[in-house]
Amino acid sequence: MSKWSTLLSRSFLESNARERAVGLVDEGTFTEFAGPFDRRTSPHLEVLGEAVEFDDGIVTGVGRIGKTPVFVISQEGRFIGGAVGEVGGAKMVGTIKAAIDFADRIAKDFPNAADEEKPIVAISFETGGVRLHEANAGLLAHAEVMDQFQRARGKVPVISLIGSKVGCFGGMGFVAAATDVVVMSEFGRLGLTGPEVIEQEMGKDEFDSADRALVYRTTGGRHKYVMGDCNFLVEDTVAGFRAQLSELAKLPRSEFEALRRIGSEKLVEKQLEGVALAAELQPKDARDVWVHAGNPDPVSLAMAPVPQFRETVKRLAL
Amino acid sequence: MESLIGQGRTAIELICDPDSFAEGSVGAKTFADPDFGPGAVVGTAKLDGKPVTVIANDADAFNEKFPVVYAGVIGMEEGYKMAQAVYATIAADADAPKENKRAIVLIVDTPGNGPGKVEEIFGMNKATGAYQLALAEARYTGHPIVAMVIGRAISGAFLCHGLQADQILSLDSDFGTMIHVMPLTSISRIVKKDMETLEKLAESNPVFAAGPRFFSRLGGVEEIVTNIDDMRATIIRHVGEVRAAKLAGKEDTLGPWGRGALGAERGGRVVRPEVLKLVADEFAAVSGKYLPGAALEGAA
Repeated sequence: MSKWSTLLSRSFLESNARERAVGLVDEGTFTEFAGPFDRRTSPHLEVLGEAVEFDDGIVTGVGRIGKTPVFVISQEGRFIGGAVGEVGGAKMVGTIKAAIDFADRIAKDFPNAADEEKPIVAISFETGGVRLHEANAGLLAHAEVMDQFQRARGKVPVISLIGSKVGCFGGMGFVAAATDVVVMSEFGRLGLTGPEVIEQEMGKDEFDSADRALVYRTTGGRHKYVMGDCNFLVEDTVAGFRAQLSELAKLPRSEFEALRRIGSEKLVEKQLEGVALAAELQPKDARDVWVHAGNPDPVSLAMAPVPQFRETVKRLAL
Repeated sequence: MESLIGQGRTAIELICDPDSFAEGSVGAKTFADPDFGPGAVVGTAKLDGKPVTVIANDADAFNEKFPVVYAGVIGMEEGYKMAQAVYATIAADADAPKENKRAIVLIVDTPGNGPGKVEEIFGMNKATGAYQLALAEARYTGHPIVAMVIGRAISGAFLCHGLQADQILSLDSDFGTMIHVMPLTSISRIVKKDMETLEKLAESNPVFAAGPRFFSRLGGVEEIVTNIDDMRATIIRHVGEVRAAKLAGKEDTLGPWGRGALGAERGGRVVRPEVLKLVADEFAAVSGKYLPGAALEGAA
């Protein structure tokens, strides 16, 4: 692993799960849970004669940003596409639960603790969802993560960071949607049904998965920023994601609820306005929605550097 | 062999008190537009004389606005409609004590979440996520939630409609019930192992094979129901057990977390508790460093 300071200027897209985890928090503060030295490999991959990883393709631990304890979960796309199995799922669930239990302990023992001294959870997603080699256990782990999110509501903010190669799809696509805040780079992709699956189910006319530009137009960070599905669009560097996470760590905990897209009756009603718009517009392309949102020249806008894009883009108002 | 696949409405009649189901009405909320989320059936019925919210799939419905929705698929409207039914349930009993919070019965027969370009442009992931959060909230608010798998409970659609319940029941596979992420034939192709090997492995390890029996061994299904006529009584019994557990403050024996413990007990998911303990122990060993006022380590 490179020196901490050199991690920061790195492309988030090119960084592996451990580099992202370590670089997101302050230097020297990261403690890994169930790390490679624990060798908690997947017994199910082994039975199938598949290669295993000592961390099962997911880095979990805790660090600090300033005074804030940051529980980090970071998925590794280079190992079976970042897919979630029994071990990796339990690491994820256990880490969120540790953050909630820690928040309870601080509330009890340090009733005067400042918000920025209370824990947050940051998840760097890189996954297509369930690992098919242990599909049933992976599926059940997804439900446990959603359950922990509801327990964390109003207590421990959960922040999604999406800017890695595999994107964030399948069950983990709605896991990310269910967090308090979504931070993406323009190279991040977020959705439910991955491009290949849409093509397979609906045909090439509906969706050509080989058309990379189409894939990014539909699920990429810029589009999700226009839709409001992503709260913050950042530069593709570890430092870019870290800076946004640092700002969020200082945010009063009561302000996180307002950043959510789903999770209440009111928000569901708001999303339904979007669904009604989808029915009315019947967009052939995500750019149709950009135009509707008040961006008459979506092509130039999509090419603009990220800071300029953020400044000029009109986001969909529901 | 008889099967209830595609017959969500029939199942409602079989499970609830005779002629008690009022479709489209949950607490103060009325779902008046028949074209809104037609793939989702929501309403209020009586079960053993008590009001329950029922949420099911309609396999005969086709959503003209979103043509990926047919055969029981949960699309964007369907996901949000189901979430609305749950929120309306919570609101209806907001002032009721825990022992009177009405149950929610999920009748599960869905092949998937809506796949499609428009769905991805607008964020199908939010609709399915919204429904799950609503169910988890209702569960923690005190509503007993019991899911009954009568047909297909496939992958993300089962996560959406089923896996957030307090307890999950399934008709046995004799009735054509399917619970899986992918059928074994597809898994065989993807993991490049022949069917014979996989079927042999599945005998000792239920972690990848399809079907309610395998999910049961993993703790993903609490009880298998072996007779259609037994569904009603079994659901009534589970609603009672869930309510008793909630009144006793034993929420951690229910829902996804409770099913985790059940998976270990049944020998199907034995690694999970070891990993959870490892994470908790490793954090406990260093947690002091992260408490308020602890000396900040590391140089920025």
